[in-house]
Amino acid sequence: MARPVQSVLIVGRDAAAWLTALGLFRAFGPAGVTIRVLELPSILTKADVYATLPSQQALHRLLGIDEADILRVAKGVPVLGQRFANWSGAAPPFLHAYDTQGAPFSGVEFLHYWLRAREEGMNVALEDFSVGAAAAKQGRLAIFGPETATFSRATYGYHFDAQPYVRAVRSLAQRLGIERIEGQFAGAETTRDGIQKVLLVGGESVSADLYVDATGAEAALACRMPTDRFEDWGKCLPCNRMIAATAPRLSQLPGFSQVLAHAGGWIGIYPLQTRTAVQALYDSGVVSDSEMIDALPVLSRLSIEGDAVVSGLRTGIREAWQGNCVAIGGAASMLEPLDATSLHSVHIGISTLVSLFPVDAEKMPEARIYNTSLRGHAENLRDFQLAHYHLNRRFDSPFWNKVRDVPLPPGLASRLALFGARGRVLINDNETFQEENWLSILIGHGLIPRSWDQLAGKMPQAEQIGFFQRMLGFIAKEVSGMPSIEAHMELTAPASAPQSSF
Amino acid sequence: MTAPLDIVICGGGTAGWMTAAALTGMLPETMRNVRLIESDEIGTVGVGEATLPQMKDFNDAVGIIEPDMMRRTQATFKLGIEFIDWGLKGSSYIHPFGVLGQPVSGAEFLHHWTRARLAGHATDIEDYSFAIQACRANRFDFPIDDKAAVASTYAYAYHLDASLYAAYLRKFSEARGLRRQEGRIVSVQKNGESGAIVSVTLESGEVVAGDLFIDCTGFRGLLIGDEMQSPFEDWTKWLPCDRAVAMPCESAGPLRPYTRSTALEAGWQWQIPLQHRMGNGYVYSSGFLSDDGAAARLVSRLEGAPLGDPRFLKFRAGRRTCSWTENCVAIGLSSGFLEPLESTSIYLIQTAVLSLLKLLPGKRIDPALRTEFNRLVDIEYDRVRDFLILHYHLNSRDDSELWRYCRNMSVPDSLTEKIEAFRHRGHVEIYRHGLFAPPSWISVMVGQGLSPEGYDRLVDNVPMERTLSAMAAQRSAIAESVGRLPAHDAFVRDYCPARSPERQSAPAGT
Repeated sequence: MARPVQSVLIVGRDAAAWLTALGLFRAFGPAGVTIRVLELPSILTKADVYATLPSQQALHRLLGIDEADILRVAKGVPVLGQRFANWSGAAPPFLHAYDTQGAPFSGVEFLHYWLRAREEGMNVALEDFSVGAAAAKQGRLAIFGPETATFSRATYGYHFDAQPYVRAVRSLAQRLGIERIEGQFAGAETTRDGIQKVLLVGGESVSADLYVDATGAEAALACRMPTDRFEDWGKCLPCNRMIAATAPRLSQLPGFSQVLAHAGGWIGIYPLQTRTAVQALYDSGVVSDSEMIDALPVLSRLSIEGDAVVSGLRTGIREAWQGNCVAIGGAASMLEPLDATSLHSVHIGISTLVSLFPVDAEKMPEARIYNTSLRGHAENLRDFQLAHYHLNRRFDSPFWNKVRDVPLPPGLASRLALFGARGRVLINDNETFQEENWLSILIGHGLIPRSWDQLAGKMPQAEQIGFFQRMLGFIAKEVSGMPSIEAHMELTAPASAPQSSF
Repeated sequence: MTAPLDIVICGGGTAGWMTAAALTGMLPETMRNVRLIESDEIGTVGVGEATLPQMKDFNDAVGIIEPDMMRRTQATFKLGIEFIDWGLKGSSYIHPFGVLGQPVSGAEFLHHWTRARLAGHATDIEDYSFAIQACRANRFDFPIDDKAAVASTYAYAYHLDASLYAAYLRKFSEARGLRRQEGRIVSVQKNGESGAIVSVTLESGEVVAGDLFIDCTGFRGLLIGDEMQSPFEDWTKWLPCDRAVAMPCESAGPLRPYTRSTALEAGWQWQIPLQHRMGNGYVYSSGFLSDDGAAARLVSRLEGAPLGDPRFLKFRAGRRTCSWTENCVAIGLSSGFLEPLESTSIYLIQTAVLSLLKLLPGKRIDPALRTEFNRLVDIEYDRVRDFLILHYHLNSRDDSELWRYCRNMSVPDSLTEKIEAFRHRGHVEIYRHGLFAPPSWISVMVGQGLSPEGYDRLVDNVPMERTLSAMAAQRSAIAESVGRLPAHDAFVRDYCPARSPERQSAPAGT
């Protein structure tokens, strides 16, 4: 007979620790499972930002985090996508909006009609057929009725000021009764089967049926497991340094983050309610820390306020679940902060753990399924990031020449080959980004398929022109009626509002 | 637009004519020039008279009208497959085209059912399936649109005469510009450099050239095997049946809306109810039973008077490692064979045809299209393979050597992992592509005697009384709703009555 898991100890810090605590508490608290947190010192600075994908909405709903509250408290703003600039020489920037492009017709995806029209001389960008991209460019929030919903899935993620975000999630968790253990992490006692106890400074210890490592890159528990092995992805993902900085608030909030390529990496610009967060990612072999700091205002065209904080970055993956210890978020896999995926990885870790919560505290064969799934997710995300690098068309610096030629993992190579041949996006199991996301960045970076689905040729040319014009007219009309993000924020989450549920 | 693509389909039969119908039904004539070479001398196998619900999607996409097709193929409806004597002699379960139970308070039904069972409240999982209860009562109606109603929780497929279906598709395709060429292929001409097929020569001396050659020549694999030398991956060690004997008989009793599969000493017997007759066959392993023995055993089990002599078939489980090689695409039995235990033959043809349409090349073939086609074909075959092996492997029969062998054989790791995850906690993997969805795995594993030892902890958030009353409510809603359905034979008589054929005009199929 199985012995059910009665207690979980989360050793971790910042958003990963408290989101996990809330997630497990919401799922298993009612059935009597004890969730405790041993918090490690935060590594966040005032300059840090959490940029999220739209899936964060679902996570917040699940955890009972109210949208208006968290936007207000964490100075957050909704964003409809990411704008990539300077990745492809002279080519104009493109928007990766969280939305589809155009509407399928007669069982054939819109892309194929677009490819055909392009061949016939049409010169309208694919993103112009996306409600989300149009709204993002105008700084509007894609809120719409059922008619538009048949055409568009436009939605938004968020930018949050990292420190107040963590404070808010922590205070909600503690208000619900999740225990925060007083004490300082000193290590763990492990055997071949897993962790026996977690040690505190001063000699005390804490034990549980299941341990969660949410300590980020440090992987404070996972790295102590006898089976632990970290697989380094630095060979394909080129950036190993990161700077976090702050610039003044933008006068008008745009509906997107900006991702600007520079000679030795990229810069992320994330508007917030009261400031603008700036990240610089780079290869320390190409640019030094001080050079990067000096170049930041020029490259970002923003005036940097206060100190810029430099840290290292080591991308890679480990087996997330070893023995009785589950690593979640950065402790399990670390990517570049390129496509707003860091909290998404935490989300995947939590939801997969909830659905595979071990039925027996004595043996946990769930680990194999969990690890397969988490590795799949992480590799697909890595490939998405790699696609940006690989498809760059900058011929002005050794950095970009080198990343263009890095050998691709076979999965990504065949994905790009198929898309280049026929405009079909190969989607695997455990995939965060869907067809529309992939084709947005592939087309955006200039990978134009060599052929299209011949069934798209059945529509007479005149009819197709009308079909496109109606779509563009519809989008223009719909978007002009949407509220600006600025106005929406003032209405629903004014930064000056006094009370908060946190 | 460039010149139309010259496509040559080699071989008729279900695969050839389904390919022909899809190409002519979906591609305008300006884009393609389709020919089909078929010899009246070579018999067709008529793969599978039982189908899966996906077949309706294929027919709809191609432009086939359901009641018309059903009338002309002596078709009946199918809601699932009954498996008799599989896990254990004396047992019977149905694998339905539909869900098993509804979630309760956000947690999956299976886990509620498991918790209740472990706490001493065991119930029959079949009572939670609308499709199964309709089968048991020999009733049928179309699923309704209201997603909240139990009468929406299933799908349906067909039993049909595959030879009549091929003939139906032939008419359909010829009306849309397909040219049928009578004749036997005697030689194949290839490009010395690329190895691509340039043309095939018929017995009459006529040379048929093309851009793309579709091999629908069945087990022989005339092009894909003999010419292109695409290797065949043999799965006999997991699926030891390599023979079948088929013999139709007169119908007896009420018209069943399901296929019946009965495990016998050296394999299993199918019974497929059509409007004009019952299709029967015995799939067996030649290592465990002689042909004469199999025929005798089949005859002894017929429910009605035999119609025709026994027909024998030989096959080998497995698939080509590259169904698309150069400009030759194998579709149907030339691409691979899996016994008709889960009625997957027509499904495998259909997914190959639809993938080919999505990846249709130009006169010069981009290799990435081939790679993708082969990847998709492999996923489908491998998934079905594991599911079929499960039926053989998960048995506790002790009455014959075949079943002992299958129980003890080592199976693919992918399957072992699935069985263990189900045993431990009722976990079933959900995939994006390919067969089968979780209800299929659940019904076969539970039906063959493997019930989960643990369940999803989320269920513990729901009080047991609430679970039990929700389960009781589901059972009675299904029983009540099924009671209102018309009888299957009355429904068929009303919707798609076929003309009664001359006796023995239709060849048997597997």
